[in-house]
Amino acid sequence: MGQGKSQFTEEELQDYEDLTYFTKKEVLFAHQKFKALAPEKVGHNKNAKLPMVKILQYPELKVNPFRDRICKVFSSSNDGDCTFEDFLDMMSVFSEMAPKAVKAEHAFRIFDFDGDDMIGVSDLREVIERLCGPDLKLSDSDIQQLVQNVLEEADLDDDGALSFAEFEHIIDKSSDFCHSFRIRL
Amino acid sequence: MDCEVEVEPRPTSASIRRTFTLRNSAARQATVNFMPSRQLPYNTLRLRRNNSEHNALLEEVVDAVDTPDAADIIVREMEQHHRLMEDNPVAEELRREALRELPQCLTMKRNVRAKLSASVSLRSKRRPISMIKRLKYRISFAWKRARDRLRDVIFSIELWYEAIRNIEGHFGSAVGSYFYLVRWLFTLDLLLATFVVSFLVLPQSMHDNTRNHTTETSVLDFISGKGRLEDSLLFYGHYHDGLLETAGPLSYNMPFAYFFTMVCLYIMSFAVLCYRTAYSYRRNFIETAGGLSHVFASKVFCGWDFGIVSSQAAALNANSIYNEFKELLNEQNKKQVNMTFCVKFGHTMANVFITSLVLSMIVAIEYGLWHLLSAKPSTNYWEIVISAVVTLVVTIVPLIFHGVVKLEYYRPRTAFYVTLARTWLLDIGTLMLIFVYWVRSGVECWETRFGQEAYRLVLLDAIISLFVLPLVEFLRALVYKLNPNTPAPEFNIAFNSLTLIYNQAVLWFGMLFSPLLVVCVTIKFLILFYVKRECAMRACRPARKVWRAAQTQTVLYMLVTLSLFATLFGVGSLFFGTSSHACGPFRAYEYVYAVFSEGVLRLSHHHTARNFLTFITRPGFIAFLLMFLCVSVYYMRARALAQRSMVQILRHMLILQAKDKDFLLTAISKVSSGEWHYNPKMAQEGPDGHTWKYLREVRKPSNSDFNFDASRLSHSYVEGRPRSYAKDRPDSHYARSNDGDTDSSFSWQGSQNNLKDVEGAKKWL
Repeated sequence: MGQGKSQFTEEELQDYEDLTYFTKKEVLFAHQKFKALAPEKVGHNKNAKLPMVKILQYPELKVNPFRDRICKVFSSSNDGDCTFEDFLDMMSVFSEMAPKAVKAEHAFRIFDFDGDDMIGVSDLREVIERLCGPDLKLSDSDIQQLVQNVLEEADLDDDGALSFAEFEHIIDKSSDFCHSFRIRL
Repeated sequence: MDCEVEVEPRPTSASIRRTFTLRNSAARQATVNFMPSRQLPYNTLRLRRNNSEHNALLEEVVDAVDTPDAADIIVREMEQHHRLMEDNPVAEELRREALRELPQCLTMKRNVRAKLSASVSLRSKRRPISMIKRLKYRISFAWKRARDRLRDVIFSIELWYEAIRNIEGHFGSAVGSYFYLVRWLFTLDLLLATFVVSFLVLPQSMHDNTRNHTTETSVLDFISGKGRLEDSLLFYGHYHDGLLETAGPLSYNMPFAYFFTMVCLYIMSFAVLCYRTAYSYRRNFIETAGGLSHVFASKVFCGWDFGIVSSQAAALNANSIYNEFKELLNEQNKKQVNMTFCVKFGHTMANVFITSLVLSMIVAIEYGLWHLLSAKPSTNYWEIVISAVVTLVVTIVPLIFHGVVKLEYYRPRTAFYVTLARTWLLDIGTLMLIFVYWVRSGVECWETRFGQEAYRLVLLDAIISLFVLPLVEFLRALVYKLNPNTPAPEFNIAFNSLTLIYNQAVLWFGMLFSPLLVVCVTIKFLILFYVKRECAMRACRPARKVWRAAQTQTVLYMLVTLSLFATLFGVGSLFFGTSSHACGPFRAYEYVYAVFSEGVLRLSHHHTARNFLTFITRPGFIAFLLMFLCVSVYYMRARALAQRSMVQILRHMLILQAKDKDFLLTAISKVSSGEWHYNPKMAQEGPDGHTWKYLREVRKPSNSDFNFDASRLSHSYVEGRPRSYAKDRPDSHYARSNDGDTDSSFSWQGSQNNLKDVEGAKKWL
């Protein structure tokens, strides 16, 4: 981690440590990983903004069905391009130390494709289609039925969409969420 | 995309559901956000965009992050929490936590932090703080800093970090959890080994320096632990029973060291394991148990394993999610066809039959082993034969169990737990049997014999799991490569984890009688990690079925804990029985526990203390203690049950409240859009005017006057339900048929109130 160290002062590291769930070493490690995505650009400017295509080269994101959503949610300019700080934020939320509630908050935003603060029928359809991958297609009636079932289970106030509270309730009751919603640095 | 998404009527609900437009529901949500319950400050400071009073404002500024307004809004929100705004380290830590939880980007967080600290220093009344408080703050600061530094250190020395991450990326987190278990057990054993070596082995070996050995060791001696090894540091019998003199004036009391090291290690491991198991149990079973089941929802939202990196694993993951969806839907469609009683009965009978078959098989195996142990043929190295048989049994029989469970009618997860339980029973049964055999054998220095047995089991199992099984796996991979039609070799998490648990159980049993065994097992786990990693990476494919790791891990930890518990039981009973007088560090004492009672407390010289001890070890007293424990467990359990039912009631009330809210909102929107035919005359009737209006207009009673049938109020409840509310069982309030009409979703409390009104009206009429 020798080269990474020269790019940050002690105060900056302390600052990152205060604002994220990482320790200083982990911040440096994350920067290494970020640098590996675009060595020459990040070498010049440690907080360089990388386009979404570059960020998606990160191995875990590369195969993730929600990769563009993840980038958009964490991008401070909302277009999917991420600076190092955005990347650090992303990794911090996906890290093991982040509490369930924080993860749920971001997961909700990732799954909320149309950005209306509710996971509606169209969002659910999109999630299901993306989960099954590009090659396998569930039939329309199957997806319909799945959406119905999800709503029936979780939509407590019967408004045909999941609000954040309802979503959080699902996450709270799922033992697998913390295991699956995790990217190790 | 268009906003007009219609929700199809649910197949299960009897009548037509209202159709919603998303725009409508967004407006509704906005109204909901202004409800008092949403306005209350949450105990966490997370700014929910949708419950913030400044919702609209925030959305405006979301595009321009650096604008001070957004940060100002958040700061203002945070300032309402007084605990956060105090000027002391505790509040500062709270502020840090709150900032971390803020779902905003780092620039925003930094902005907020600057403003917050400015605001805090502005507010703080500079008061001199007392010495004690200053000390307290300083300690809490130091503690925090130490913790952070420790995490930093742990991150840099974390063992096998990249390796496990790599495996998780290729096989998903379930296989990763097996490797975490290996690592965890390795670390635990390494710790134990350090203690054992430094407190027992090193002093004894220094003492041994004075002697010298001449005899040779053959390979068979090495395997069996006999010959020269029998009287070596490996085994209990070798350890000195008195003081180890050193050059200086100090001496080392070996029996004390042996007794206390072992007792402390056992208790420490037990405490660590209990904590670990309880923690994991609470997180994965208790906190997620009960209430509504979210089978579909959790499949959808927690289905993807975000840690996957390889595209092959990703494709398989997508494939398995697809299949799971299909299966779930099929199951749901099939559920309409009820299983006949006969089929169900047949399934249960089959399960019972096979379970009893398996149990009798275990008993038969144990019986055979006992006879094998008792047989004393004159051949040398008969012990190796016994150990080989035991090793083969615990390797092969679980495979049979894996096969047998497929004949039964369990759900996959239950089937897995059942197999685990059976295998564990077999392992522990075998170890217990060997232990009991040697305790009762009365052979001189039987402790060493048992230690040898444990040593042989660890050694032979190492041959199996480090050489034979990987070989088999690589062969299977080769077969698969030549002929891709055969099933691909997958990493069998259950079988591999059970091997680990078996090894750990042997260690628990053998540690007391063979101190160096812990070193052997530690080395074995170290090698095993690399062997298994190579196996997984080179020979195995990712599993086709998604494996839920969280709960399984808990069960595995539970089994390790249970093995240790069984051991403690055995060792404890041994301590109160006689010890061997021929060898070992305790040969000078009649009972092992006398090391403590005589050696340390010198009870024979203190009559009152001895009397007290004899009193508390009397059966009557112990029975009383047990009774007390039972009663308190019963009390706790009763409380837990009561609380659980309370939680259920509250949860149902919450749901009803949500429906109430929904109903009221609909009513309001009806009124505001002028649908409601408002009659001012009725409104003047009193404060209850609206209720009456509702009853008349929406319920549309058959008779137009006040004199309507009260039973209409309850039409939303299950048919055939008694009309009397007072006698009603609470659970029937919730078992309502959903007739789709939100107007019917009166809360039961509400209906009772209305009923009173109605009855009053009747009287009045």
